[in-house]
Amino acid sequence: MATTSTFHCSVITPEREVLSTDATSVVFPAHDGEVGILVDRAPLLFALGIGVMRVDGAEGSRRLFIDGGFAQMLANDLTILTGQALEPAEIKADRARSALAQAGELKITDDASFAARDKAIRRAQGQLKLIEQGG
Amino acid sequence: MANKRQLVKRRKAVRNIRKITRTMQLIATARFQATFKRATASRPYSQKLAELVGNLSGIEVELTDSLLEPHSETARDTTLVITSNRGLCGGYNANVIRKAIEHIDGLTGCGTPCDAQMIGKKGITYFRFLKRAMTEVSHLGDTPKFEMIEPLADALMDRFRRGEITTAHVTYMKFYSAGRQRPEVMQLLPLATSKAGDPHGAGANAASPGAAGSEGAAVGGGTAAGGGAGGADARSGGGASGTATGVQFDFSPAPKELLEELLPATVRLRLFQCFLEAAVSEQIARMVAMKAATDAAGDMIKTLTRQYNRARQTSITMELLDIIGGAAAVQ
Repeated sequence: MATTSTFHCSVITPEREVLSTDATSVVFPAHDGEVGILVDRAPLLFALGIGVMRVDGAEGSRRLFIDGGFAQMLANDLTILTGQALEPAEIKADRARSALAQAGELKITDDASFAARDKAIRRAQGQLKLIEQGG
Repeated sequence: MANKRQLVKRRKAVRNIRKITRTMQLIATARFQATFKRATASRPYSQKLAELVGNLSGIEVELTDSLLEPHSETARDTTLVITSNRGLCGGYNANVIRKAIEHIDGLTGCGTPCDAQMIGKKGITYFRFLKRAMTEVSHLGDTPKFEMIEPLADALMDRFRRGEITTAHVTYMKFYSAGRQRPEVMQLLPLATSKAGDPHGAGANAASPGAAGSEGAAVGGGTAAGGGAGGADARSGGGASGTATGVQFDFSPAPKELLEELLPATVRLRLFQCFLEAAVSEQIARMVAMKAATDAAGDMIKTLTRQYNRARQTSITMELLDIIGGAAAVQ
């Protein structure tokens, strides 16, 4: 059945619904590594990490940078809730680079500052990776 | 007798002002629509977040999250006061600031030290004038983005977890409808578990019956009552599965840790929504203020025109009298 080969995927941030489309497969960065989703995936509730997600659908493949959050798959409906979701065109390479440089210079004094530095670096790296992949 | 020329000049000035205020009113209307759209755009997120919490609350988890209870014996409060960066919006800022001062003084009177964190130039200027202690946050602009609010919320949660503060409040102009906004003090931390009736939060926005509101996040988090969970124990990989609302979910990490991540997300969202609502209320206040100014200018123009006409008539009569008087003298 052709209709069952796709599932609905939406990416929602507090500011807007970034993406709402039918997809054949989605790969997103979970908190502990990448997770691939195909149609009829069993219900899941995952915490997300920082990185690039890929949505493959009838109109080709789309990539988005996502910054943490949660993913829920329920009845062939995948919802990605994230604080920030950026298309490749929305990312400025030089800004990401300078953010990476700045993040590298952050001083680590305790666990919190280590986590903050790590997060900032991964954020910048994820954005740069998305640009390099060219969307 | 009023000077005709002067009256004409004043009338012209008032007309110009009316043009400006009318334009500002139109701009405020456009901005109101834009901010309102932004505010409603956060609805899907809050609905889904509430849904997620709903899915989790079916799992039996003993939640001892650090955001639900204060971590220090000595009470200390931080109050965020959201004011605007620009003026010409009637009593908007004055109302928010009055409410904030009332709240801060109330707490201080009860022996709880309270730090004010002022957001927006107007509030900062006024607190400086009053020589009150405060922390200034002025880099946010008129339409703050989520990524700008996030660090603000994270910093508060951090201080809360470390026990530096025991409560955090937000004073802002709450938006009920286009015709009603009221300054309100909202408790941000600890996440209120008893205030399920509080109309704020995602619950207020979430119209769908499926969404319990992010208030539910706090409530559900506290008790997490419900049906028997499957293997909800965290395995070494952090994965787990369990039944929630009748559906068998795969969880990663374990439900408890997921909930612990969901609660900060709820706090961030609630703070962000405060900013969104404040922005909408500000534009409405500006719209109303500018409408009033435009109307007042119209009335003033009418009065000035009447005065001008009377002055004109008087001067004509005087001239006529002069001429008639002169003619009579010649005869």
